[in-house]
Amino acid sequence: MSPTDDIRIDPRGYRFGALVTLAIALAALLFGAGTVGLIFMAVLTAMFIPGATVGPQVTVQSFLFRTLIRPRIGPPTETESFRPPRFAQQMGLAMAGAALVLGLAGADAGYYVFAALVTVASFLNGVFGFCAGCEIYLAFKRATTKAA
Amino acid sequence: MLLRLILVGVLLAGASVGYLWWTRQQGKVRHVVVAGALTPADLGAPRGQRATLVQFSTPICAKCPPTRALLLRVIAEDPSVSHVEIDASEHLDLARRLDIMRTPTTLILNADGVVVSRMNGAPSEAQVREALAEVPPATEYSI
Repeated sequence: MSPTDDIRIDPRGYRFGALVTLAIALAALLFGAGTVGLIFMAVLTAMFIPGATVGPQVTVQSFLFRTLIRPRIGPPTETESFRPPRFAQQMGLAMAGAALVLGLAGADAGYYVFAALVTVASFLNGVFGFCAGCEIYLAFKRATTKAA
Repeated sequence: MLLRLILVGVLLAGASVGYLWWTRQQGKVRHVVVAGALTPADLGAPRGQRATLVQFSTPICAKCPPTRALLLRVIAEDPSVSHVEIDASEHLDLARRLDIMRTPTTLILNADGVVVSRMNGAPSEAQVREALAEVPPATEYSI
């Protein structure tokens, strides 16, 4: 896989996207497993879908970054591969989806657990730039591509 | 709602503490000591990536030059194995430490510099290949 195959993304955009998902996840967590919370959780789940399938560069969050923030701060000095963040979006989709399904099924405890997980992940990414899903993707790559 | 806000605050504070702990672990200097390893400082030369053949010789040893030639020929096509020759008469402390009783004696070191086998006396080509086959192959890593 040559470096030119990789789509490179602006890491600041991805981090801003995490702040957007953090806001929605917080709302879903604070409003609980009722109707309002479930609506927020449904929105959050939908927001992860483009990122999980294509990559973070096609999400609504990244669109907001490109139109609102990026013109004010200029182009990035560094870029990163889209692959680890895309995997992280897949994990976000799985967590938000699980919370939504469990909430709709009435399993409130499960809703809160997964809502808390996706909130913490978005928080660490948006505030500290720590992408937990990316680290898991890299650990997974290390474990599966070592040749004896 | 107030209770929830407090709980979420505690959750995020806990996550922050966890993250700060994680950052402190990154890049920490961890000293690696492998017991019984021969370092490049001991040998006076860098070690091979996968294995090192350490041959102890003396100037009056008739079989030592042919053994050196044999070892170099066997490992010529394998860049992960290197050969180091040590004059036992000039490095008596090292020879004593490694129980060198005669020359040539060839120690086979693994990637960590630990002696995994030895050949006392002049080996045949088959014996050299046998010793090298026992050393684990060079590993390829991702990341």
